[in-house]
Parts: sequence; structure tokens; C-alpha cells
Amino acid sequence: MRICIVGAGEVGTHLAKLLARENIEIVLLDDSSERLKDIEANHDLLTYVGSPTSIKDLKEIGVDDADLFVAVTPHESVNMTACMWASNLGAKKTLARVDNYEYMQPKNKEFFKKLGVDYLIYPEMLAGKEIAESIETNWFRNHLSFADGQLEMLVVKVRENSKIVNIKFKTGFFNHDKYRIVAIKRKNETIIPRGDDEVLPNDLVCFVTMANNRDFVREEAGKELVEIKNVMCMGGSRIIQNAVKMLPKDINIKLLERDREKSFLLSEKMDNALIINADGRNMEALRQEGIQDMDAFISVTGNSEANILACLAAKQMGVGKTIAEVENIDYIPLAEELDIGTVLNKKMIAASYIYQLTLDAAVTNVRHLTSADAEVVEFIVVPGSKITRHKVKDLSLPNQVNIGGLIRNGEPMLVNGNTLIMPNDRVVVFCTAEVIRKVEKFFN
Amino acid sequence: MTRTFNFKIVWFSLGALLVIEALFMFLTLGISFLYGESDFMAILYAALITLGVGVLGLLVGRRNDKRLGKREGYIIVASVWVVFSLFGLLPYYFSGAIPHYTNAFFETISGFTTTAASVVEDVESLSHGMLFWRSLTNWLGGMGIIVLSLAIFPFLGVGGMSLFTAEVTGATYEKIRPKMKDTAKYLWGMYLLLTVAEAVLLRVCGMGWFDAVCHSFTTISTGGFSTKNAGVAAYGAGVHYVVLLFMIVGGINFTLLYFLFKGKLNRLREDEELKWYVNAIVLFSFIATVVLIVFSDTQNWRMWEASFRQATFNVVALITTTGFAGFDYTLWPSILPLLMFLLYFTGGSAGSTSGGIKWSRIAFLCKNVLCEYKRRIHPNAIIPVRLNGKVINSGVANGITAFIAIYLGLIVVGTVVCVLSGLSPTEALGAVTASIGNVGPGLGASGPAGNYAMMPEIVKWILAVYMLLGRLELFTVMLIFTPAFWRK
Repeated sequence: MRICIVGAGEVGTHLAKLLARENIEIVLLDDSSERLKDIEANHDLLTYVGSPTSIKDLKEIGVDDADLFVAVTPHESVNMTACMWASNLGAKKTLARVDNYEYMQPKNKEFFKKLGVDYLIYPEMLAGKEIAESIETNWFRNHLSFADGQLEMLVVKVRENSKIVNIKFKTGFFNHDKYRIVAIKRKNETIIPRGDDEVLPNDLVCFVTMANNRDFVREEAGKELVEIKNVMCMGGSRIIQNAVKMLPKDINIKLLERDREKSFLLSEKMDNALIINADGRNMEALRQEGIQDMDAFISVTGNSEANILACLAAKQMGVGKTIAEVENIDYIPLAEELDIGTVLNKKMIAASYIYQLTLDAAVTNVRHLTSADAEVVEFIVVPGSKITRHKVKDLSLPNQVNIGGLIRNGEPMLVNGNTLIMPNDRVVVFCTAEVIRKVEKFFN
Repeated sequence: MTRTFNFKIVWFSLGALLVIEALFMFLTLGISFLYGESDFMAILYAALITLGVGVLGLLVGRRNDKRLGKREGYIIVASVWVVFSLFGLLPYYFSGAIPHYTNAFFETISGFTTTAASVVEDVESLSHGMLFWRSLTNWLGGMGIIVLSLAIFPFLGVGGMSLFTAEVTGATYEKIRPKMKDTAKYLWGMYLLLTVAEAVLLRVCGMGWFDAVCHSFTTISTGGFSTKNAGVAAYGAGVHYVVLLFMIVGGINFTLLYFLFKGKLNRLREDEELKWYVNAIVLFSFIATVVLIVFSDTQNWRMWEASFRQATFNVVALITTTGFAGFDYTLWPSILPLLMFLLYFTGGSAGSTSGGIKWSRIAFLCKNVLCEYKRRIHPNAIIPVRLNGKVINSGVANGITAFIAIYLGLIVVGTVVCVLSGLSPTEALGAVTASIGNVGPGLGASGPAGNYAMMPEIVKWILAVYMLLGRLELFTVMLIFTPAFWRK
């Protein structure tokens, strides 16, 4: 498989690194040799200095036999143009990063396909969606839903007061009819629980459950339902603009932006938020705007360090829920340890979305769980595939894999060792990024 | 750097590489068996020991985490050449072909580094098995041990990248395929193809199959071991021209050869280093031919052809650092011996199998000197040095300048040490330059007509180090002896 990536920005390089580990030929093109230097020296891929919209350069990197062409430069129109060139030169699939909500609407999909742009990705919108979701349901860190929300994966940080802590799995205490724990994240380690494992306080626990059992899980995890009414945001980035658009109208939003010109622009764009021209790092300003009364604090500026610190400060002022964008991947466990509620990473969200395009058709969905450093993949079982031959416990799946649940004929159900997976089931699999391809083999 | 050094992966890699070496010893064993020679058992022992130690290395390092950083990469690359030589000498040592340990080591490392400086006085007395192994060391070292192992099995994974850069010659290099593994495969594929092609052509020109294969091993790798005492001179004109052609090919950047195979001819036409390389060959051959003809007593067609052939052959043998002892140029008239000696320094192209400074570096240096004049005249002007139309950034430029300075400095130091060890100044300079440039024959007693057998033991060890320095282009070896490399 050959993938051409154009634009060695954050998303592009992250994706390239992710894919270069596998048996995929990666060519990364950018117009700046500076940006390519590091990645070239340390990763097994080919880099090329050239213009994304030069036909000669595109030919040179071999788009004509590319299985996937990914244009992720910061400029929407460049991405679009590059994709059109590429698909006309012979690239099988193309993907462009865009910046425009309008393009994402389903009715325009055919139109773009005709132009030669097969997929569109809007990372800021994906991130905004994640923020909106975690504000609406705030007792868990991450939430993924499958099959119209019938089956859910919830990531919860459990404390001392939870009913499930310090109990070993083999005791049979856990009610496996109502939920299943597919993974535990402790410090930097992702644990797939076996009989001898137990949940400790301050672990991040990944539950798979049916939507109607959500409250049961909440009680088990010792969480209370807090309704979020007041939200304060720092920095008027594009992510926040998207998030605000998706939040319910009855939530009060205050947005701090230190640039005056930009504040005016923001107030034009967003009528449901109160824009305040102040620096979010100024504690006095925060107090004046009543941070102590806020239920949630969101910091998604371009600066990861500032985001982490601002969220820490907000926690100290008594804000219950904080959300920070942390683009530096090495900081994510650090932020986790500091108890910053939800951690967002735009490039990882985007990269795992693009990653799924490199998998076979049996995969419908790959989503990245930033807090657990793992991927959740949704497979449709092909008749005759390896996974249908034995019960789950006899399949000898890789260690870092756990099958959480499945949807059969529209009915969600949880999976345990004795489940036999049937053709055409939609199966939700929890696994670490390295083993996705191994798991994929079971489904083909 | 805060992380600890990953020794396990070093053991594992070295083990795996030794297993590869053992496989090639078994191949040699096959040759020995074919000719029914008495050193069969010696080679068998050598192969088994190598295999055993290799497997041991694999076992010791089997539970390594795959983390392979730059430092581990440098260690592996530098030590694998030494380890290969240490085990590669076993066939010579056990069979008694080269009974002395120092001599056997010298012969082996000079083989692997494609220096092909020999301590064997009577090559023709060696058995077929020994001769084959001797040529094979040249061949394996030519494209590089690491590159070979990357092509055969990708056990080094992602980290292979840092190994590759440490072994491939030249100041900058261009990957030809997105995957390291594929790049290595293509390189070795072309290498193998060229070797086979040459062997067939040599056979056509009248060499026996065994000699044809051995010579093609040592030609394309720009090594220079021969199976005859008189070297290539023992054969006719046809052989000379075939060897000549493939020496030139061996001195060309393999990336360019890849484009040639792919039919992208304009890449070759536009390549500046290739131009310098070819022009140098043409220029030096022309001068040498003319001088030889002028100083000759008889004048006829046959003599002109011989002059042209010998002149070109020698120029190419030296510029590609093959160093085939064909015709003794030290006996040539006028300034020719000095001119020929200059070629010891230059080497072929970057990314080729040849040694020396390489033409891309020389081209850069010349251009930089010219630009320096312009800069003096226009102090505020930005005058970059371009190579192949691309501006050489200051990092690479510093690297090149440092390389040339260290290269020449090492020659001076080496010459002084060798003179102190009892060599005459001419001999010392010749031997040191020939070793670091991976050329082979030096001057005087170690010249094209002689060999290194008479050198004092200490000198042989020094020269062995110089060969390794030259083959891995100085930095890979020298880095691991700097304190900063080991500092946590």
C-alpha cells in the first residue's frame, strides 16, 4: 500500500509516523525542508520537498499509484486543489482537510466526489464535537457511541467512593450483564483486565454498556450527575467555535479572548456566547468574570502548556470539570496525572479518523481514545471470517485486544468469553494502535 | 539523553548479522567441497563457530525492546565491521593459509572494507575456497553489511533507518523507495545483477568461471583482490576493458544507477557529481595516455592501444579505489606517479561502493572556495553553494569541511606514526592514504607490485583501523570514541 501525505504539519507528521511503523509506503511532501528534516531522519518513510499543487512534484512522489492521497496543509483551498490533481493523476482515494462547516454537510458529499475529493476531514470540528459531548455528559472523560447510541463506551475516572474499586475481577462481583470493563488505564499503562486484576482508585476505567444501563454504571463508578450550566472558555480558537456551535442553547458560555480585533470577530460569529476581551491567564480577570461559579472550564488555545496550567488554576478555583487541548503527545499522561479532566489532542483525533481509511472495508469506524491511549474499532463481520469460527475465549486474540460488545440485528449486546460472533454482527473492539492490523485479519 | 543504552538490541543485531556471515561461510564451504580441497574442515569449523556465536547473540538479546536510537545504531554499525572481520579471519587462520593472527585479521578487514591490501605473497598458492572467501569479503563489504541484512530480513525494523545512514557513504543521500527494506532490496538487487553481468562478460572474454566470479565480486565492490599474482594483468585486453567498465559503474552512485534502470536518464545527465567523476576520469586518462605515448620508444597502433588501456585502467582503478594491481604505475615516466597518487584521495561518487573523499565533497569544496572570493568582494551578498541545483545548507557544508579536514589530518597523523614505527616516509604516506581511501596498494614495498606482508605488526593494526575509518566515513567510528557519545 502506498500513501502520499501532503503537508507536514501536526496532523500530517503524526499520521506519517503512525503509518510508517506498518508495512505501508509513505511519501510525505511539504514545501519546507526544515519541517521534513526531523521526521526524515527518524522514521522509515520518504520525504520530498515540493509544492502540493505542482503537477510535476505530485507525479514525482508517485500519486499515480497511490492508494490514498491525504492533503492536510493548513490551507483548505490548497488541499482541495491537490486532491483534485491527485485523483485525476490516478490516486485511488483522496482526502482533504477543510476548514469549512458547509463542506461537511452530507448533501455536498456527491459534489466533492465528482470533483475528485473523496473524503473531507475537519479536525477542529471533530475536536469541537468531543468537547460538546463531554460537557453534556460530564461524569465521564470520554464517550463513544455505536449504532445510534445503543451501545456505548464510557471512560470514567474512579475514586475511593466507587463501588468497584479494590475488587478483583475473578470474584464475580462485576455485573457483566449490564456492563463490561474492557480496559483500565493506570499511570502510563493500559491494562486489559484478567481475573487477577482489580480496579484501583484513580484508575481510568473503560466501560462498554448499553445506553439504558448508563445510570447503573454511573452509580457503580460512584459518580454524581452534575448539570453543567455555566462554561468558561479560554481562547477563541476554531475548535471552540465549533464546540460552541454544538452545545445546547441553554448553557451560558463565556469566552475569553485577549486579542481585541479577534474578539469583535468572534462576537459577530457566535451569538450564544459572551465574548470577553481579556487574557485567560490573568487570574484577576478570571475572578472578575466569576470563575468560581463556573461548572466547566475549557482551554483550547494553541499552546499546550498554557492550556494545562489554566485548567489547573481553574481546578483550584473550584471548577469541577476542565477540558484542555494538549497537542504535545508526551504531555498527555502528565496532564492526566495532574487530574485535568478531559484531554483533547486534535492531531490524534484526526489521525485515527484518517487511519481507518487505510483499513479494509469491514471496518466502519476507528476512534481514538486520547485518555486511554487506545483505539476503538468497529468491525462488520464478514461471513466466513476467522472470528466466527470459535467462541471469543478460544480465538487466541492478541493480548492488547478486548472485544467489548456487538450489535446483532439492531440489538446491542455485551460480549463475554462464551459469545460466538456471527456474520454481519457489528463488533466493537478495544485495542492499542499497534495491533489494529492483527485484529483486522480476524475479521476478513 | 536520559535513557539508558539498549545493549540487548546490540547483541541481538550482532548475533543476527553473524548468522548471515556464517551462511556465506557455508557457501564458501560448498566451493571448497566442489573442488575437493583439504581445508574443507577448517572452513566448516569457522562457519560453525560463527553460527554458534551468532545464535548465542540472538539468545542473549532476544527479549529486547525494539528501541534503536542513533547511539545504538552507531555502535552496531562500527562494531559489526570489526566483529565480521574477527570471525571472517577464521577460515584463513584454521586452514593455515595465513597462519599469523594479525595478518589474518589484516587480510579480512582489508577485504570487508574493500581496501584489498594483501599480506599474501603468493596468491596463486591459496586454495579455491580461500580465494573465494577472500573475494567474497570484498563483495559483502562493497554494498555494506548492514544494507545487506536490511535487504535479507527486516529484523532491525524502524531503527534500521539510523543504521542505514551510518553505513551509506556520502554527505547526503537520497532514499529511492519509501521503505528502508525496499531501498536495501533494490540496492542489493542491482548489485547482484551487475555482478552476474560482469561474471558472464568475463567468462566470454576467456576467464574461467571461478576466476570470473571472483573478479566480478572484487570489481563491482571496488575492492581489488585478484586470484592471480599478477592481478588483472595476467589476462588479455578484453578482460581489461570489462573490468574497466564495471569499475566505473562501481564508482557511480547507486541511486543514479537506480534511475538508470528506471529509465529516468535526465537524472543522470543533470547529476553534477557524476559529471565531475566522469570528467576526472577522462582528464587523467588523457594525460596519462599522452605521456605514456610520448615517452615510449616504439610508436605503432598496438602500442597506442596498450598505452590507452593501461592508462585508463590505472586511473579508473585508483579513482574508484579498487586498486587492482594491474600495471605498476610507480614505474611510469615523468609526473605520472604523482598524478596517480593524487587519485588516492578523491575516490568515486557518494553512495557508491568506492572509498576516498568522494567527488561530491570535492565539488563542494571547489565551489565553496570560488564563492569565498565572491563573498570577499561583496561582503553583504548571500552566495550559497549549489550542488545539483540545490543549495547546500550550512549544516551539511560544515559536515563536509570537517570531513575533509579530519581526513587529511588523519593521513598526516597516521604517516607520522608509521614512520616512527619504522617505515620510510614514502611508504608510510602511501600505506596510510591507501588504507583510509580503501584503495589497497600503497607506494614502495607495499605498491602495486608488492604487498603488506613485510610491514611491522603495529603498522598493520593502525592501517586496519584506518581502513575502517575510511569505509565508514570517519564519523561513525570516531563518534563512539568521544566522551559526549557515552555521557548520559
